[in-house]
Amino acid sequence: MTVISAVLIFFALVLFVAGQLLLKHAMESTLYSTRFTKFFATGLTAMTISFFITLGLLQQFDLSYLYPFQGLSVVIISVLAAAILREKLTPRLFFGAALISAGVVLVSLS
Amino acid sequence: MIQVLKKFLLNPWFQLAFSVLCVTASEVFLKRGAVEAPKLPKELNWTGVSGLASANVWFGILFVIVSFVSWLYVLRFVPLTVAFPLSNLVHVLVPLSSWVFLDEIISIQRWCGIVLVLIGVLTVAKPVARMEEKL
Repeated sequence: MTVISAVLIFFALVLFVAGQLLLKHAMESTLYSTRFTKFFATGLTAMTISFFITLGLLQQFDLSYLYPFQGLSVVIISVLAAAILREKLTPRLFFGAALISAGVVLVSLS
Repeated sequence: MIQVLKKFLLNPWFQLAFSVLCVTASEVFLKRGAVEAPKLPKELNWTGVSGLASANVWFGILFVIVSFVSWLYVLRFVPLTVAFPLSNLVHVLVPLSSWVFLDEIISIQRWCGIVLVLIGVLTVAKPVARMEEKL
């Protein structure tokens, strides 16, 4: 794996996570307000760019190699939703998220 | 009757389940479509654009769009710390449907991973179910 592909994998993950958080924030605002439109458009753009970076990476790497990184998104999104969106993250929710991540990694390793 | 149906359809938990089912259906249709799609010359084949010739791919795309819309609806009501882990149920349903509908073989290790995801989803779902009962 070259430095460039490591950076691309990182970017795809960051954009996917950011996209989810932005869309979540948009959907909590008043629908069709300026705030909603701004966050929705940014979130959708982030998800789209992440999608195409992933598509490009898939030409180069096996899905099973890229999938664990996707699996990490569960834990990262839970933690960031608590930190940035001030959502409640109980130990139990965190534990559940960690189990899911571990499961996704295990599936892709086989 | 319509009132009851409406209440049911507008329930965010129903929409979450619906979204997960749509993602699963889309994956199965996309896989079916991708396999039957004509092979393009090597330079173009990576785009997957030939898949558009298959009706299965269009069904897949339709399911993707529907799932995204219902996911947005879910986001309006359910915290991300709950909704996103639960949406990972697709990692259980997709392998299961690949096994049932596409005759794919799942290794023991993969089954273990799938079970782990399922336990994680249930861990998140249980307190939520209790929370709902109180409401």
